[in-house]
Amino acid sequence: MTATMSAGGQASAAGLHRPRPTRHRRGRDRSTALSIVVWALALYFLLPLVWLAIASTKNTGDLFSTFGYWFGDSFALWDNIQSVFAYKGGIFGRWALNTLLYAGVSAVGASFLATMAGYGFAKYRFPGSTAMFSIVLGAIMIPLTALALPTYLLFSSAGLTNTVWAIIVPSLVSPFGVFLMRVYAADSVPDSLIEAARVDGAGEFRTFFQVSFRLMVPGFITVLLFALVATWNNYFLPLIMLNSSDLYPLTVGLAQMQSAGTSGGGGEVLFSTVITGSFISIVPLIVAFLFLQRYWQSGLSAGSVKG
Amino acid sequence: MALAGTAAAFSLIATGCSSGDGDGGGAESAEPIASDAFDEAMSTPTELTFWTWVPDIENEIALFEEAYPAMDVTVENVGQGLEHYQKLRSALESGEGAPDVAQIEYMYIPTFNLTNSLLDLSQFGARDLGGDYVEWVWNQVANDAGVWAIPQDTGPMGNLYREDILAEAGLDAAPETYDEYAEAAQLVKDETGSYISNLAANEPVQLIALLWQAGIDPFGYDGAETVSIDVSSAEVKEIVQYWQDLVQADLVSTDAGWTDNWFQNIANGNYAGWLVPAWGPIFLQGTAEGTAGKWRAAPLPQWDAANPVSGNWGGSSNAVLATSENPIAAYELARWINYEPEPTTMFATEQFLYPALTSLLEDPEYADQPVEFFGGQEVNAEFAEISATVDPTFEWLPFMEYVLSSYNETVGAAWEKKGDAVGALDVWQQELVDYATEQGFTVE
Amino acid sequence: MAVTTVSSAESPAAPPSSRRAPRRGHRGHPFAGFLFVVPFMVLFIAMIIVPLGYAAYLSLFENKLIGGTSFVGLKNFAEALTDEAFLGGVGRMGLFLVIQVPIMLFLALFLALAIDSGRTRAARSARLLAFMPYAVPGVVATLMWGYLYGPDFGPITQAFEALGLQPPDLLGTSSILGSMMNIVTWEYVGYNMIIMYAALRAIPTELYEAAAIDGASRIRIALSIKIPAIKPAIMLTVIFSVIGTFQLFNEPALLDAIAPVVITNGFTPNFYAYNVAFVNQDVNYAAAIAFLLGLVIAVLSYVVQLSSQRAERKVRR
Repeated sequence: MTATMSAGGQASAAGLHRPRPTRHRRGRDRSTALSIVVWALALYFLLPLVWLAIASTKNTGDLFSTFGYWFGDSFALWDNIQSVFAYKGGIFGRWALNTLLYAGVSAVGASFLATMAGYGFAKYRFPGSTAMFSIVLGAIMIPLTALALPTYLLFSSAGLTNTVWAIIVPSLVSPFGVFLMRVYAADSVPDSLIEAARVDGAGEFRTFFQVSFRLMVPGFITVLLFALVATWNNYFLPLIMLNSSDLYPLTVGLAQMQSAGTSGGGGEVLFSTVITGSFISIVPLIVAFLFLQRYWQSGLSAGSVKG
Repeated sequence: MALAGTAAAFSLIATGCSSGDGDGGGAESAEPIASDAFDEAMSTPTELTFWTWVPDIENEIALFEEAYPAMDVTVENVGQGLEHYQKLRSALESGEGAPDVAQIEYMYIPTFNLTNSLLDLSQFGARDLGGDYVEWVWNQVANDAGVWAIPQDTGPMGNLYREDILAEAGLDAAPETYDEYAEAAQLVKDETGSYISNLAANEPVQLIALLWQAGIDPFGYDGAETVSIDVSSAEVKEIVQYWQDLVQADLVSTDAGWTDNWFQNIANGNYAGWLVPAWGPIFLQGTAEGTAGKWRAAPLPQWDAANPVSGNWGGSSNAVLATSENPIAAYELARWINYEPEPTTMFATEQFLYPALTSLLEDPEYADQPVEFFGGQEVNAEFAEISATVDPTFEWLPFMEYVLSSYNETVGAAWEKKGDAVGALDVWQQELVDYATEQGFTVE
Repeated sequence: MAVTTVSSAESPAAPPSSRRAPRRGHRGHPFAGFLFVVPFMVLFIAMIIVPLGYAAYLSLFENKLIGGTSFVGLKNFAEALTDEAFLGGVGRMGLFLVIQVPIMLFLALFLALAIDSGRTRAARSARLLAFMPYAVPGVVATLMWGYLYGPDFGPITQAFEALGLQPPDLLGTSSILGSMMNIVTWEYVGYNMIIMYAALRAIPTELYEAAAIDGASRIRIALSIKIPAIKPAIMLTVIFSVIGTFQLFNEPALLDAIAPVVITNGFTPNFYAYNVAFVNQDVNYAAAIAFLLGLVIAVLSYVVQLSSQRAERKVRR
């Protein structure tokens, strides 16, 4: 992290976070060639999702026999949605709720812990603080999936596998979030403000909750979003931790639905159901992303530049 | 009435209980379980967990719960095939969350026996059920040490083929011998462009079943520390060479099974046939609806036409895990759904599981039923005949997960490239011997 | 592996900002800062340090189906270093690193610069579209691309057939790695783009307005002012990509269902660790692999930083 941070320090010294809302003189000097290239790339990102949307309106027969980028002979979207939600007594809805629960609790918890720790590292010096922070920084590089295996073994000897805790507790730790929030706290919360609160006789924690935290909200939300996506997308951890299909998140559920059609011993083929289920599972995420996009940026422009 | 009836049957069986010297038995096995112990167990409200991938097995469970209102069975599908066994193994290892009853394919019984994970059912009198199941099936679940599971369905291998495509190639019946099969493959390819069948690169068990048919058992396990492994013997190589010749002449394809591509090829007639067990029709009827009426079932081609034989691929049993806290109720669940007439008939007629019970196989109502998908052919009877020709002894290794995954890496990879599968057998053999040695087995 | 980074973070080049930050606040209550950090640190130790230590401990043993557990020292590590499956996976990820990561980051940087330049039409929408795949879970992305690659009803095949061309086998032995690279690129260009874009937006305008007045071309401004200014952000994406690459699991695990023989057990090191643990039932060896994997990543990240530092020093001279 040394290189990145030292360079970040310079950028910071140059004075960073001034927004430049009206820098571009809109409408002028547009480049058609550039636009074409950028939009060709944008299509590359869009087209697979378009295929998924169209495919989820087809029944299995049409899936195999009609052109991928146009609708089939029958419009089976509603049937497909029904069969997704009817699959194994409506377990899909359960998976969706589980996903919400795991992602929601983990993300809020992780970003809150990271905000507190980041603030503590940024604004206080106590014995061992630099050493601790360095270790946390180093942990950013540890592949989490490599940890999942020993974590699983530990959980299983404690009898905690196949519980919601097995998913939530490991997801509460976000070293990158701490790092981001430390940088963010250092820049967004003036020491003079804390000092003033202290003079007024406010306790350290009251100061944190009532004064400092507010200033750190954009960074908090960025960490929240990172953690949300990380847990939402997690497959490996729930795959090894959970046995009961009642506890599965969508990722594991969908993968299992897919494999139900692809192994011997009496499964049915569920191609159209799997495709529609995949589609349904990403719609809320995409909508949420479109609305929350600016928060990624606001937190990151502090964190990443110096990251 | 059902309750009273089975309870009586149980006590009858239980008093004739064998000595049961297996590991799972414990102190109980010395004393047969009395009828009142059984009654008590089955009338105490009990929650049982059952891990299985069989679709709609809830229907049979409902019958069981009707017969024993105190029982509350939760069905979990933790995945199919390897995934199921992985989950089972991790649950057993952590000592937490393992089910009472689990679906187990015959070939995995020694694997789970090695770790003493299965309860010896002979303590409940299960040995006396043996005579009612097909002989080779019972040999798969029972040995001298105990009875480890109750058979549910079986997979005697036959040849499902498209009558219309073979007719187009000028063939009016399925080839009876392997020589004829190779000739037919050429004709089918020349006349119709289809493959006579697909030997899925990722289906070791299909190939093992073909070895089984040829009377080759490359595996052996003495139940303790000694295994024998011989997957690269001259006999095995001869069989694999036969298929390799067909594959390299582009007469048999090696597409991975159970993928959308594979289903599609079945549906559109790219494969004129499928060497598959009695459960094969389930998959055809779902995905190849458009080809209904054009399929027929026949015995496998033979190496020696005078002596028709077959092998088994798949089928599974229900085992009670040694960790179960309700062994009596768990045993009764496994026994009841796989032994009583009502649930077993339901398995056979609604889920199309191929029965392991002799009585059902011989039941004219089941056997002589014409099946529309097969143009009115009495497919069940055809497979009943085949089932009788399955070689009654076949052993497995106690680490089948590794055996199968190692096959895919070696021989399977060779099939995929249409390369030297025969040569890959040596690599497979070496990997298995290395693994067994590493794990502390004595390899013979 | 923590040790290497500790020393790097504490090296003389340590960030001015980190020295500056804790300067004043500690005056009041030294214990308070500790309390802020404790909840996180407790979980951090429980969920990262302890499992790491446990993995290290496990990796020193051997557990046989017959014969049980015994201490074997570093045997598992020695074995891994000659294990073709493991090395093959690491090699494959090395290819990923030199082919896929540069392509992905180049595309991300290009998009970020193009959108930031204000010369692209409907730039905001393009940015949203590029970012959208990040919202798609890796599992769903892989399932979806698996269908798109499908040799039958996959639209890519359909398009080739419509043009009368021989469709490529995108799920074959020789092409699967490329197909996987494409999935990962599709998933993460937008994510990296956003990190770079956020950094671009934070560059003070004065820095290059002067250059623009001097008549420097936009490409020149991008190359000699903007890119150097966001170098930390770019380094961040490089390091995240290194980590991400060696962690690949979802893609091989799900493609395994549609291309079973093509995806070998050791296709990626992480997938291999999983298979060793759950198929071969060799938890100890799997722990050694997981540990080695972490080591490879730490070393690589360190090398990346070191080389960028060196490059920087050269520039300063």
